[in-house]
Amino acid sequence: MNIRPKRDEYDVIVVGSGMSGGWAAKELCELGASVLVLEAGPMIVPERDYGEHLPPHEMTYRGWNDRKALAAEQPVQRDCYACDEVARKFFVNDIENPYTTDPDKPFSWIRGRQVGGRSIMWARQSYRLSDLDFEANLKDGNGVDWPLRYAELAPWYDHVEAFAGISGRAEGLPQLPDGVFLPPMEMSCVEAQVRDGIARAYGDDRRMTIGRTAVLTVDHEGRRACHYCGPCHRGCITRSYFSSINATLPAAEATGRLVLRPNSVVAEVLWDPRSSRVSGVRVVDAESHDELEFTGRTVFLAASALESTRLLLNSKSSDFPDGLANSSGVLGKYLMDHTMGVGAHASFDGYEDRVIRGRRPNGIYIARFANVTEPRSDFLRGYGYQGSASRAGWWRGESMTGFGADFKNELLSPGPWSFGIEGFGECLPREENHVRLDPEQVDKWGIPTLRISCAWGDNERAMMRQAAEDAAEMLEAGGGRDISIDYQLLPPGLTIHEMGTARMGRDPATSVLNAHNQAWDAPNLFVVDGACMTSSACQNPSLTYMALAARASHYAVDASRRGEL
Amino acid sequence: MERRRAVQLLGGALSAPLATSSEALAELLTFGARVRASVPADQAPSDLLTPTRARALEAMAEIVIPRTDTPGAEAAGVTEFVTALVDGWLDDAEREPFLAGLDDVDVQAVDRFGAVFAECSDEERSIMIAEFDDDLARRRSEGRASGHFFHDVKRFTLTAYFTSEAGLAALGHRIAVRRFEGCAPLSNPEGCP
Repeated sequence: MNIRPKRDEYDVIVVGSGMSGGWAAKELCELGASVLVLEAGPMIVPERDYGEHLPPHEMTYRGWNDRKALAAEQPVQRDCYACDEVARKFFVNDIENPYTTDPDKPFSWIRGRQVGGRSIMWARQSYRLSDLDFEANLKDGNGVDWPLRYAELAPWYDHVEAFAGISGRAEGLPQLPDGVFLPPMEMSCVEAQVRDGIARAYGDDRRMTIGRTAVLTVDHEGRRACHYCGPCHRGCITRSYFSSINATLPAAEATGRLVLRPNSVVAEVLWDPRSSRVSGVRVVDAESHDELEFTGRTVFLAASALESTRLLLNSKSSDFPDGLANSSGVLGKYLMDHTMGVGAHASFDGYEDRVIRGRRPNGIYIARFANVTEPRSDFLRGYGYQGSASRAGWWRGESMTGFGADFKNELLSPGPWSFGIEGFGECLPREENHVRLDPEQVDKWGIPTLRISCAWGDNERAMMRQAAEDAAEMLEAGGGRDISIDYQLLPPGLTIHEMGTARMGRDPATSVLNAHNQAWDAPNLFVVDGACMTSSACQNPSLTYMALAARASHYAVDASRRGEL
Repeated sequence: MERRRAVQLLGGALSAPLATSSEALAELLTFGARVRASVPADQAPSDLLTPTRARALEAMAEIVIPRTDTPGAEAAGVTEFVTALVDGWLDDAEREPFLAGLDDVDVQAVDRFGAVFAECSDEERSIMIAEFDDDLARRRSEGRASGHFFHDVKRFTLTAYFTSEAGLAALGHRIAVRRFEGCAPLSNPEGCP
């Protein structure tokens, strides 16, 4: 790809090359725009940087991770399961990229700074939101109303799914709309048993389905079907899972209109008070620390929810003393994530002569039922479940008594089946959960950093208590024994679905963006990542970011042609 | 790992696409080169896991995971992994008791059987390992397995063996499979996860 700017002015500058930035780049380029993608981190070359097939004996610590390096360089990132011995290079250095939190409010901000962003290490679960979600704020009075409804987004879900390749099964559930699916992956014996047990016990009220995942089950759009090697977060040389590197950036590059500049830390979006428009961006070169300016007719922010908001907060002018596009004063507020760490697990008898063949990069999904088919008086909104069943491997020997030939042979055979499920709960949009600029701290490039203030509320805790009970009951209905409830509510951020802080809305006085991800205060400024979210729903959000980014890209090009930008 | 080996491991699963795709072959060749480039240089001898301690460790590991019709922990290279752990992974509070435990094994063996552990008979070594394992079982039943010397020996040995080329081969491990099956017969030679 091109890594040096060819010209001084672009139709569109896209800040960020991950999930949302990749989609914006693809759509804008294919519509004829000249696009400069600025990525804060380095270039990623799959043939050099991916490591999914590296066998464990080629790793110094055999998958136990470089503990000392993690403690010294990534004390926050190491809490993410994917920040392992091979993939930790895809996570930021926490010392170079600091942030602070308010006292007693831990927040795990898990970030990737490289071409591809977090689309390299994401968990790939892909679910549509529905009108249950888009109408939630209006109905219960939390947050503001979404400025769009499912019917407006459905064609864009179709659009991104058809290109990305989502495997899954159509279920006909109104709260979890079906999409354009590639063939579903198989459930394991125990998962299928529990699915059937849930269906018997709860009828149509609760439904377990195979996970909907952005991994190809058949060859698709020039990319090859998955070969089930397992550790997707280390990359994918066959480009079988969707990422911007594997799919959207190559499509953008193929138009000849993409210029990609890695190592470009955007420090400020430039505001032109005479035209009341943004005019470009100020960049600090990550390696040389030189300052550069790039001019664009339109600017798309896709740096991730909190980085895009940080950039706006850092873009101050006499017109916007509290941050660009912040005339409403809500920029930075209404931060959300999903609750995680609560569920149950159980052992299962039978199927001793059956095994799982291959490492499925996917689990099961139980669609939300709380406040859908089962009304609740003790909390608002609801939760879905994810999990998987498997047979214990050799590692069970660590907690077994025994040694010698029999012990060895026993561990060479698969152990008992177990199945764990975990609730992903919706987080209410609350004003007090917010980010602001830290008054003192700067990052490696001298750019002011964020102070994050976020905590779960009573609604999330009440919801998760019920989620744990429901999880245990469903495993029991599925025939599990020795059922244990897991209740380790993780700190916000660690689900890595952080979103909001530059929300969409219907009113410029109470929102940052309109229904097209366009800033109310600057017609040629768009924010197309998770910052735009008005509520969190309980589904994994990336598919919605993709759909919104694609939709905003088409809107921007159309509006530009109409002379409105 | 040699390139030929990498291609062979992958080729088993991806032979169908390979037959028609020169691009796929190119990917695999690149992959092989990348793996070779990432192999660490030969390990320097450790000042901490001294040859004497390494001999005791290897002998203990071989009792835990012995050679059967497949190689045991010693041949699978348990010392290489534990050297890395001792030199760069364990913190002081973990390393000191572990190394002291290895020293103590030899002291006990000389005391009881007149030879360092590695030079004791199979029967003598098994007697000592059984006692360590019983003691670990007691600690485990009290929820205090962590920090027990033999707990470390055992978990280091299991990981060293089952992540080695020999261990993965014994497990029937394949890097990739052509088709995922959630409920395959156990007898399938590619079946073990």
